[in-house]
Amino acid sequence: MDFIPGGELSRRIREGDVSAESELIRQFEPGLRMLLRRRTGGDHGLLQDLVQETLLVVIQRLRGEGIDEPQKLAAFAAQTARNLAIASLRKAERQKTDVDSEATERNADPTRSVEGLVEDVEAAMAVRALLRELPQARDRLMLKRFYLEDHDKEVICQEMQLTEAAFNQALSRARRRFRQILDERGFSKRDLLSPEP
Amino acid sequence: MTQELIQQYVAGTLGEAEAEAFEESCLRDPELARQVELEQRLKLGFEQVARNSEEFVRSGNTGFWQLAVAASILVLVTAGVWMLQRVPQTSEHALAAVVPQLQLGGTSMRLALERGAENMPELPRGEVRVAIAGLLETGALYSVSLDRLHPLKPVQTISTLEGQKPSSPVTLEVMIDSDLLESGTYYLRVHRQASDEEALDFGFIKN
Repeated sequence: MDFIPGGELSRRIREGDVSAESELIRQFEPGLRMLLRRRTGGDHGLLQDLVQETLLVVIQRLRGEGIDEPQKLAAFAAQTARNLAIASLRKAERQKTDVDSEATERNADPTRSVEGLVEDVEAAMAVRALLRELPQARDRLMLKRFYLEDHDKEVICQEMQLTEAAFNQALSRARRRFRQILDERGFSKRDLLSPEP
Repeated sequence: MTQELIQQYVAGTLGEAEAEAFEESCLRDPELARQVELEQRLKLGFEQVARNSEEFVRSGNTGFWQLAVAASILVLVTAGVWMLQRVPQTSEHALAAVVPQLQLGGTSMRLALERGAENMPELPRGEVRVAIAGLLETGALYSVSLDRLHPLKPVQTISTLEGQKPSSPVTLEVMIDSDLLESGTYYLRVHRQASDEEALDFGFIKN
């Protein structure tokens, strides 16, 4: 489906076009998920909440007073998400400071923990399957150094005596296979890996 | 270029302004955002595996490895006599346990898992006392393997020491004779014996 510019989406939502709201969600949700994933420290429940909250704030704003520069709708949505993530972090910090930590642990939201855990386990299972399929120890070491130890590609190539093309090829193969494994095992979320509806 | 940006964003190495501009691009391009999220999940998966699993870098399909080990033994037995007669035994003696009374002083090197470290440490010449830094169980026994990384071949284990005891809760020491190693990239692989703990790899370079 084609990308609809922010100015047009803003205008249509302001005019009460419900399909434009659906379009805004379709366009922005993947970007908001990746932006907030980076800011929620692996808490999948919090990530979902903040994505929904951001979309709600943006839509309500467009239905009401609108935004100053409608053509910069993406920037507005991104900044809204960042602000909500910061507010959530501050709230969590305050709770940590104010409340006895043992009591916090006792009262932790079990649903949120389980959601986060499931996401972790899925990713770990897919990576394990990927590693098992790699016949060369060198490829496993290369991926480990890249994803786990955050080494630069140039450094890894130099130390492992790999050409950049060979490195990119191995990395691209690993990504493609990881995506397939997530798909095959049903771990691919609708909003992450499935084709466009 | 896009893939580079994705990697830098996920690794957290983009500047703040660049990262924010990239995020806004992703909001305008759902497919790009999906690619970034895939990369984020791949990295998360590696972190989870490293945290929880015994089977990591050298792990593989068990059946495959059993077959591989059996085949290797067969090849080694048939070729063993020929190899022993023709190839001088050199580098397998490069790794040795520390004998405290005999090996005080001399050259030393410290190896630690340093997240984001840009360069591997370089092994000095001669006999080097190598201090491996990590969280260790003082009462436990560890195996330490010296592996060489070849560009186009599987990892070669040069030598393994069993039953090594940490000298402190954060240090395990071994001796490496640098002069018995060819130039290349090497790893010391430390594993707590009779445990499911993840083995730790400490890389270094011999020039």
